[in-house]
Formats: sequence, C-alpha cells, structure tokens
Amino acid sequence: MKKRGKGIAVSFYGTGYGNGFPDVSTATIRLEDEGKISISVGATEVGQGAKTVLSQIGSEVLGIEIEDIVLINEDTSKTPDSGTAAASRQTYNTGNAVKIAMESFRKKLFEESKELLGLNTSIGLETKNKEVYLKMFPQKKTTFKEIAQKLKKQKRRLEATESFTAQTTEMDPETGQGAPYWPYTFNCYGVEVEVDTETGKVDIIRALCAQDVGRAMNPTMIEGQIDGGFAMGAGYALFEDLGLKEGRIKNNKFSKYIIPTALDLPEIEKFIIEDPESTGPFGAKGIGEPVMIPVAPAILNAIYNAVGVRILELPATPEKILQAIKSYGKV
Amino acid sequence: MNNYKNIGKNLLRVDGKQKVMGKTKYPQDIYMDDMLYGATLRSTEPHAYFKIDISEAEKLDGVVKILTHRDITGENRHGVLFKDHEVLCKEKVRRIGDPIAFVIAESPKKAKEAKKLIKIQYEKISAVFDPKEAMKENAPKIHDDSNIVYHYKCRKGNVEKGFKKCDVIVEREYKTSMVDHAFLQPESGLSYMEEDGTLVICAATQYPHFDQIEIADALGLPKERIKIINPAVGGAFGGREDITMQIHIGLGALLTGRPVKVCYDREESFYAHSKRHPLYMKYKTGADRTGKLIALEAEIIGDTGAYASWAVNVLRKSGVHATGPYEIDNVKIDSYAVYTNNPFCGAMRGFGATQIPVACEQQMDIIAEKLGISPVEIRLRNCFRKNSVTATGQVLVESVPLDKCIRIVSKRLFAESEMVWG
Amino acid sequence: MINIKLNVNGKDYDLEIEEDLRLIDLLRDRLGFTGTKEGCGEGECGACTVILEGKTVNSCLLLAIQAHGKEITTIEGIGKEDDLHPIQESFLENGAVQCGYCIPGMVLSAKALLDKNKNPTRKDIREAISGNLCRCTGYEKIVDSIEKASKILQQRGSESHEQL
Repeated sequence: MKKRGKGIAVSFYGTGYGNGFPDVSTATIRLEDEGKISISVGATEVGQGAKTVLSQIGSEVLGIEIEDIVLINEDTSKTPDSGTAAASRQTYNTGNAVKIAMESFRKKLFEESKELLGLNTSIGLETKNKEVYLKMFPQKKTTFKEIAQKLKKQKRRLEATESFTAQTTEMDPETGQGAPYWPYTFNCYGVEVEVDTETGKVDIIRALCAQDVGRAMNPTMIEGQIDGGFAMGAGYALFEDLGLKEGRIKNNKFSKYIIPTALDLPEIEKFIIEDPESTGPFGAKGIGEPVMIPVAPAILNAIYNAVGVRILELPATPEKILQAIKSYGKV
Repeated sequence: MNNYKNIGKNLLRVDGKQKVMGKTKYPQDIYMDDMLYGATLRSTEPHAYFKIDISEAEKLDGVVKILTHRDITGENRHGVLFKDHEVLCKEKVRRIGDPIAFVIAESPKKAKEAKKLIKIQYEKISAVFDPKEAMKENAPKIHDDSNIVYHYKCRKGNVEKGFKKCDVIVEREYKTSMVDHAFLQPESGLSYMEEDGTLVICAATQYPHFDQIEIADALGLPKERIKIINPAVGGAFGGREDITMQIHIGLGALLTGRPVKVCYDREESFYAHSKRHPLYMKYKTGADRTGKLIALEAEIIGDTGAYASWAVNVLRKSGVHATGPYEIDNVKIDSYAVYTNNPFCGAMRGFGATQIPVACEQQMDIIAEKLGISPVEIRLRNCFRKNSVTATGQVLVESVPLDKCIRIVSKRLFAESEMVWG
Repeated sequence: MINIKLNVNGKDYDLEIEEDLRLIDLLRDRLGFTGTKEGCGEGECGACTVILEGKTVNSCLLLAIQAHGKEITTIEGIGKEDDLHPIQESFLENGAVQCGYCIPGMVLSAKALLDKNKNPTRKDIREAISGNLCRCTGYEKIVDSIEKASKILQQRGSESHEQL
C-alpha cells in the first residue's frame, strides 16, 4: 500500500566565519586599457555563481553592462585575499568588498574625469554606458576608454582596493553568550511523500521551498541553489551513508554511495523571499548552505505523517522504515 | 520593484558558455610537456605505527622519485585550525587513507606499479571508532592529548526551573550519518616551477590564499614564491577546504624540477577529503499547553575522525543553532567535537547546522502532536521575528522573514483543515 | 601496441595505441578532447558520456579498440563558439550550469535523446539523463533546458520542412 504524508521544517543559519574571527574580504578594481573594468578578488567560483554575482554587484555601481567587467579570481599573484568560498559568505562579504571598492574607484574616476573635462569639481558627475558625464549638462562627457588612454600615456594606473569585514563577536566561554554570526538567513521547506508500506521506499512527490535571500542578486541562480540544496538534502535524508566499518569506508564508489539522480526528485516550487539586509550589498545575504538545511527534517516529518514512524537515525532507508512500520507503524 | 540595472536580473552565468562547450579547464584537463605523474600510497590501517621500505619501488624503471616524510623541506604538517595532519606520515597512521608516500614516475601506470612495490610494516595499536567511547579517559588517544577537541556551552535562563513549568516534555536521541560531498570532479592538481623560481600549484580549492600559506610552510618557502592557480572547480560543498594533494605535487615539482600531476580516482577521493560530521544528539524540549517553548536541553557529540579540520567551528555552529529558529527562555546546550580513528570530518554545506534540525524539527512535530496543534501553529507560535533574541543573546535586528516563509509554504502545502492538526 | 582507425567529431584518426587503453584516455590524453570528463571510472556518473554510432556510451568503460572503425561525437563536436547547439544555448539561458563538470555528458545525453525523440515528456527527459549524475543543480533546470531545446529544435525542423 502507498501512503502519503506531508511535513514541513524551518531553519536559520548564521553566515560567515563566526565567533569573532576576522571575516575579511578584499577587492581591487582597475581601469583596463580598452576602458573595461577589472575586479580582482580571491573568491573561488566553485559553481555557486561567485563570478557572475560579483560582476553584477560591481557593474551595478558604475551602471555598466556585466560584459564590460573582467572578473579575475584564478591566480593568487593577481588577486587580493577574499577569504574562503564557504560559510555562505562570498555574496555578502566579497560582494560588499566589491561594492565598496567600486564606489571608491568611481570617486577616483571622477577626479580623473574632472581634469580631463576641465571642471573645478567632480560634484554632479555620473557614470553610464562606460562614460562619465555631468548630469546637469550631459554634453560634457568623456569615456572610460579616453581616461584609460590618458592614463596609459602618463604611465599611471587607476585602481582602488577596499576591504569589508563582517561583524562577529567572540562568545563567552562559559555561557556561550555573544553575537557569533551575522547575517542570519531563514527558510521553510515543505514536502509531500509517498511511502510504500510493503517496501519502505519513499518517493518525494511534492516540494515547496521558501527561501529568505535578503535581496535576490540573480533569481535564476538562487533557484538553481535551492534545487541543488534540495537534492543534496534528499540524498542525506534517504540514502547517503559511507557505511563505516572500523574506520573503513564501505561505500567508496558511486555504485555504492548513492546520490540522487534526476528520477529521485520532484519538481520543486520555489519562493524567493526578499527582505533586504541593510549591511548586505544591495541587501543580499548568503544562501548557499541554508538551501539544504530543512530538507531532511521536512522529509522525516512527512514520513511520520504518512506511516506514523519516527526515523531518529539517518538515512531513512527502506529497511529502517519497513522495520519501524512492522514494529509500530500506523498501517 | 527596484530600478537596478543588473541586480535582481537573471543575467547569464559569465562562465557558462565555456562550460556548455566543454572548454572549461579543470585541473585534470591541463597537460604540460615533460610532465611526471604522482600516485599516493595511503594507510590501510586505522591506527598503527609503521615502517616503510621503498628500495624495491625506487628501482623500477620509470620511477623518478618517491617522496616520504624525510623529503619534506619545511614543516611536515598542515591543517585549517590545528596543524594536526602530516603531509606524509612519519611513523604513525591515525585513519585508513592517511598519506604515507607519494610516488612520482614517468607515467600514471608506472607510478601505480611502483606504489605496489612499497613495503609497509604495520604495528597495530588499539583504535576507537565511537566518539562516546573516545571521550572516556582510558580510550586510545588519537593525538597526544584528550580526544575531546572542543566543548561549546550555551547557557540561558534556568532549564531545571523551565522544565518544571512545562506541560509537555519530549526526550529523544537522534543520530546522523557520515556523508561525502560527492562533488563530480575528483581532486586533481598540477605543479611546476616558473623560470623565476616561483612554484605554481594548480588545483581546485575553495581558499587559494590560505592554501598558499599552508604550502609555503610545508615546503619551507616564503609565501611569495608560491602561486596558486585555481582553475575551474568541479563542485566543492566544503570538501575542498582542507589540503589534499597540493603539498605533495608542490614538493614533487620542487625536488624533481619537472611538472608533476596527480589525478585521484573516485575511491581515492572518498579517502582524501573531509566528511560531514555525524552527530549524536540528545534532546529534551518542553512547552506549555499553548505550544510555547519553555526550555530546551541538548547534548551534541560530533565525531571528527582522525583530524580536527574545522571541528571546533562546526560543533560551535551546531551548538549555536541547536534551538532551531525559536525563542526559548531557558536553554542549556553542550556540544563536543571528538577525535576517533574514523575518516576525518570537516566542512560540508551547512557546517554543523544541517544535522541539527533532524533532531530539533522532529521534536517540534512531536510536541505539536502531543498538544493537538498543527506543525504550522507550533512554529508560528515560537519562531524568530524581528528583534527576537537568540539563545546566545543576539538580537535579530532586521531581515527576519521566517514567519512569511512558513505561511507561504503551509498555505500551498496544507489544506485548511490540516493547518490545525490533531 | 595496436593500430586503430576511428572518426571523432568528423575527423579521421589513424593511431597506434596500447591494447588496454580506455576510450576516455584516448580521447583526453591522446586527442585532447578534454571536454569528456572522468567522475567515477565505473560507468555510474555519466561525466564521460560520448556518442558512439548514435548511442551514448560511458567512455570510461570502453577500451579504445572497441571504437575501431566507428564514429564518435564528443562535446567538442557539438556547437561552435559563435553558433552554439540549441541544447547548449538552452542550458546557458535557463541556468542549467553550475560547476559544469557534468555538463558535457548531460548535453550529449540530451542530444542522443532529442535525436530519436523529438517531443519528450519531462519524465522521458529525467529518464534519459538518469545515468548522468549532477551534485549541484538538482537537475530541474537541466530538465527545463532540454524541454525548451526540444521545442526550439521542433520549430526549426518544421521551418526547414516548410522551406522544402
């Protein structure tokens, strides 16, 4: 018999290194020869989209196209330290560093433009389409390329380096009191499962994910994170286990260590919840880890709702579920 | 709606086009002339002293060099928090998979062949695989000191008094499993010397600037002489925080003067990088008859295996998140990180906070059922909102849209009649 | 050593190889088609998928000599920098790519599916890529992308039909 059940779970997650450890990201912005703008950061693209999001943040400040940004992050001899690509910290931390550095770069760009345009002050200058112009008299303008050419002739470089440090306090060693992380990211996931009472197999037939993001930098990429986090969470809940025996990993290949395939997952309804975080770049918070967290408990609660068994030990394999159903389930 | 030009827009991934064309270079896709290949000999015992004999292997035609602890030019140690890993074990192994020797040969085949000719004599010592056992004073010690790496304490209010006020108390024990990141790209790296004496290490890593320091210390070189090239990374999820092959290939290139490449297969990858900490979680949660949480007590034990990696930070994070996103006046949490002879655990997506809701969110449903209220109701009654105070005393001053998340999901998932359940 | 002839991405090769050389190693190490990825070495993950005589195979499970006299398509044989294949275009536009390591195999599995089933359901698509593991994306946007590519290809098919 197949029985259905629904379950939800919520989570909060403090992003960043935490507990007072200096959580610093540094970014360097440079005007390149052809008027392109380079962003150098030590932030790794692990597939999460750091290159794209950091380019979006940087280009937004100058009002240019993302194609006019060159993002350099593959070489320690060319990049400043932007901390690790972990703790869901790159969008928030390095994003902030890029934003601040770009604002500082813009000031310098205005100073150069002031000279080039023969102005007394840089007040009222703006950027758009790789041009610097005077807002009250737009005919007064120069291009990023012209500025770059002038600098090249003078053998000078226009660049700005800035750092951002996230707030975190060390907790009291006896009471654990303190403000270890900031910002926190929240979410609620719901699933509906179908449990086969004869085999113990669980099918996830519906999934709903509401994810707080502060401000969405790139909704498609956020959805991609939610999908991926859901898949990893489903594997964690239902099949993944190294099968340790006296320190030996029994399941040390993909024929034995089972991760979800496209057939194991439902279509996922995703809700991106915006509530901008004032300390984040344009309001953004980290989401890379949070997207995985409520999946397993939501599934476990749904299994209980379906067949009345509480799986207290992961993973909720068919054998474990069947065993529990036989001893006390509500079938 | 905002007026941003690029923020909030579904701009195409900047590295996407190269990836769909298969042109993106991951470390294994990089080849150099005159390149040598490495193979790592790893421990097959979880806890043992050993003696190594490489004389036969060295004689094999095509073998250029076999690195052991004797060849290390700097400090034979590394680690993200404590330097408790050896680059190549000197006399003792603490887990199955500990690196003992690194064979460098003209082809991958020769390197593997030579590996088989290395003789290791183990003298087994007693091992411990259960973190609760490992916490006992007389347990075998993995490193010199106590196996308890870390203990985090969170104290708020008074749990004894709190539980007395509860109408319902739920006590359960939970356990999560040790799992792997299973990123699709197994570890691979290539190291070579540049003309000016810079040693280049090209490998997929999460934190190139930290690797640079660790490699420099292990090789005894100033960090300015080390350059990390971080080409495309085929997924990480925390599993590329710790050093794996970087120092081996760096040392190989430094000592042979030729480029050295290594590609782990999947089985080696399972042994090479960290794992997710399995947690034992003992929970006691109490609420009044309206479903308001009054007290929570939790003991959390995390098995970090043979090395600490990020264990301190991971179990700290478990402890800080142990209440779930709920305001509770009386809280007592103890979380521990413990060494055993298991594979080592470190960072993995959620970092100690992913395990927690397996316990605390099931506790919530159990309490709700006992009180005859719905899972939605109990969460809305207790969840963090703007200006809520966490168990560590932190004020959530802004951006706390949790109740909104709960309402949106529940409204779509449940029928009206299911919202009040029981 | 042994001689083999094969055609990769439309080009003929005549090579001397070791008998036990795997197809994946021939493609990557000898011919430089590094878009073919190795993820598990046991035919479980599909990262090394190539199309052999119209069918997808795991190139880590085949010996190079098994490809003697045959035609192979790797990711490098699909689409060009300024003219991506609709499947690639669709992957890019619909956010199907994260770390990218599984993507060449996914694209080839998708192509093999759409070559024989012009109008697959989402279930068909999930089945067709069930031998390709991805740890980043949860597959949904990959499924979206293949579905959208099938519509584009059908449209193009009917347009070229009209021209005839």
